[in-house]
Amino acid sequence: MIKVEHLTKNYQRVKRREGILGSVRTLFSAEYETTRAVDDISFHINEGELVGYIGPNGAGKSTSIKMLCGILVPTGGQIEVNGLVPHKNRMENARQIGAVFGQKTQLWWDVPVIESLRLFRDIYKVPEAQFKHNLNMFNDLLDLHEFQSTPVRQLSLGQRMRADMAAALLHNPRLLFLDEPMIGVDVVAKERLRTFIQKINREQKVTILLTTHDMGDIEKVCSRIMIIDHGHIVYDGNIDQMRNKYGTQRTLVVEFEEPIADFDAPHTTLVKSEGRKKWFAFNRFETSPSTLITYIGARFPILDLAVEEPEIEAIVRTIYQGSAGTAKVDGA
Amino acid sequence: MHVIQLYFRLIQISLLSRMQYRANFIAGILGLIVWNVINLGLIGIMVTQFTSLKDWTLWELVFLYCLWILGHSLYSLFFSHTRQLENYLIEGTFDQFLLRPASPLIQLLGRELEYIEIADMFIGLTGISLAYAQLGLHWDVWKWSFFIIAIISGTIIVLAINLLIACSAFWTGRSRGTFIIVSPFYSLVHQYPVDIFGNAFRIIVSSLLPVAFMNYYPALVLLDKVDHASSGWWLSYMSPVVALILLGIVSGVWRLALRQYTSSGS
Amino acid sequence: MKLFWAFARQHFHATALYRVDFWLRVASTPILMYGTRWVWITLYTQRPGAFGVSLQQMVTYAVLSMAIENLFYTGPQYYMAQQARSGAIDADLLKPLDFHFHMLARSTGEMLFRIIVIALPAMLVGYFLFDLQLPATLQTGFLFVVAILLGYLVNFHLEFLLGSVALVTLEIHSIDWAFHATARFFSGQFVPLWLFPGVLGLLANILPFRSTFSTPLSIYTGVVTGGAVTEAIGFQMLWLILLFIISRWLWERVQARIVLQGG
Repeated sequence: MIKVEHLTKNYQRVKRREGILGSVRTLFSAEYETTRAVDDISFHINEGELVGYIGPNGAGKSTSIKMLCGILVPTGGQIEVNGLVPHKNRMENARQIGAVFGQKTQLWWDVPVIESLRLFRDIYKVPEAQFKHNLNMFNDLLDLHEFQSTPVRQLSLGQRMRADMAAALLHNPRLLFLDEPMIGVDVVAKERLRTFIQKINREQKVTILLTTHDMGDIEKVCSRIMIIDHGHIVYDGNIDQMRNKYGTQRTLVVEFEEPIADFDAPHTTLVKSEGRKKWFAFNRFETSPSTLITYIGARFPILDLAVEEPEIEAIVRTIYQGSAGTAKVDGA
Repeated sequence: MHVIQLYFRLIQISLLSRMQYRANFIAGILGLIVWNVINLGLIGIMVTQFTSLKDWTLWELVFLYCLWILGHSLYSLFFSHTRQLENYLIEGTFDQFLLRPASPLIQLLGRELEYIEIADMFIGLTGISLAYAQLGLHWDVWKWSFFIIAIISGTIIVLAINLLIACSAFWTGRSRGTFIIVSPFYSLVHQYPVDIFGNAFRIIVSSLLPVAFMNYYPALVLLDKVDHASSGWWLSYMSPVVALILLGIVSGVWRLALRQYTSSGS
Repeated sequence: MKLFWAFARQHFHATALYRVDFWLRVASTPILMYGTRWVWITLYTQRPGAFGVSLQQMVTYAVLSMAIENLFYTGPQYYMAQQARSGAIDADLLKPLDFHFHMLARSTGEMLFRIIVIALPAMLVGYFLFDLQLPATLQTGFLFVVAILLGYLVNFHLEFLLGSVALVTLEIHSIDWAFHATARFFSGQFVPLWLFPGVLGLLANILPFRSTFSTPLSIYTGVVTGGAVTEAIGFQMLWLILLFIISRWLWERVQARIVLQGG
């Protein structure tokens, strides 16, 4: 579906100077600086995949998505989206992709949602039968009819996202880009959008690339995750593998029958102690929960136990930290 | 065909957007009318006390003022939001244009409809009609055609110039500054015949920033003020030519601008 | 008084110094000076010494009018309308500071700033390029400054009244717009009031708008001299006192209403 080989994108920007004198000088003699937003990335996405695409701000996410949409021309490397080179066939490519940008709606602000959808129908030349069929589907899955005659400016964020999803899927795209679609959406609406995303992915075989800062989205929805940082792809694989590889840290939480003094267990560090509860961190390759429980249980009476897995966010943070050291920062 | 259809669909939805604020509509229309009446009133007081401005009488000045308005009103009605291109680039609206399988230019042009500017058209038509009667004009078919062509040329000229300025945002990131610099030129040419100013000013508004072709030059023809003995008499007929040249330049620059945008991005 | 200056200074620093647009607007003033100067030269070749005013006086009037164009309209009404819409007006009312006075301090800071960075440079440009004459005597110059300040205060109170209305209606644009159109016509900014015929002339002389442009410019150029100067300044003061009283009266009512509604 998507083939990206050695993709690179440089930006050339006029160096801004401080103050008024500086900006006057810039008018006459501009100095350029080159920043490399995307640095030699390669990946393939197969039809029907649902890939989470994450990375800190400025890591190169939007730049690479813009190139996939044909909005930006790459500096180097190859892109192919469903057999098309996006920037060379922008219009044809536009017909086979859909996109939702959480930060900015695609819909006309002051008109009822349905009017925007009708306009999209005309722009994308969607046949009437397909239009009706899709509207019905959106009514079922997104309750579109609840707010289809409301102007976008009066919608809640969750409703707006649902409307934007509908607009992006109206022309049955094979590929859907979701850029921060859950931003600012409340928990209930978020759950619903997640279900919807999974559904269209499974039932309609829409390939989806999802950008988000919310690891919950990734965990619940995606089967594969790509992490980009400083223009490099620093991780590409499934989530369980990632957890195995980077998430070796576990925490054993023990609640004792009575308060006891702090003590050490082999291969653990006591990270927290609160009343009758104690938290022991350990590396799961060095020791196992059962060994630890046997060790501790033999010494003190235990009331309750829990093993905490590391949060995916913490894992990703570890990965970013790891990549920061190795990555090259801008080639000027 | 599809492009024109699409344009009208976009205009339709822009109109729908504007209808949401009907209260602003009345206030806006009244506002524009009063504003123009006040400007004309000030010119009127000035010219009445001095009987004329060079060889331009009061009603000739009204004609000049309103000829500008007519050409400009079509522009402001349909295209005045092109000045916002800079904001569209910053806010990512332009990316959305590129995301859709349709011409970005058409999407830009059809983005808004400033229907309050209907008031301008009303003022322009009223002013020209009054001037026509007061000056005792009797145009033949040729003059009427030239009048229509002059208005359309005026629209194209101001659209092209403003679009060129707006396009500078593709390279520099901002165009508002240039609009600020040119605006006094616009307002002077709009209100006064350029022959009262010095040569430098006349040359600028006839070449680099050819807004004099919106009202001054065609008005010379329409009011029989062309001095055929002077060396530059042919300029008076040049509005449509200037419009076409500008149209050519702007379409080339637009293409370059798109290339620039897709290679440099945000 | 200390507080007043603190506000003025703070505003002074926060103002548009770094906005390029602002500087370009300043830079575009000479083009308008150039244009108006030619208009008056053209008119005066047809009728030299019209209304007992010389071409030099007239050009000085017109060019100076461009230079001081930005002094008066400091726009407290926009601030007030915006604060009312966003609800931030509550915070303003909580300050241990009279709101009317607070607005005056803000506006004055803005005006002082504009005098230094716009009006004075523009006057220099006018002096060197566009025949802007110096005032006849030092005393005339002083009276000009007094008239400018009074004109500013009169206009500030008109704008403050608009702002007070905006606090209730939450809408400023149409009414503000009507105000500017009227001011534009009757202030003598573009066409001096002595050219206004009959009823228009009478109206222009009664309304407060002439305090801003017409009065200071007429004093500067020497069109108004002697006892007429005292009269003109007295007229400004009269309007100022009247508008001050109305402002206080209206503000008390508006404030009571805001407090009642809880913002």
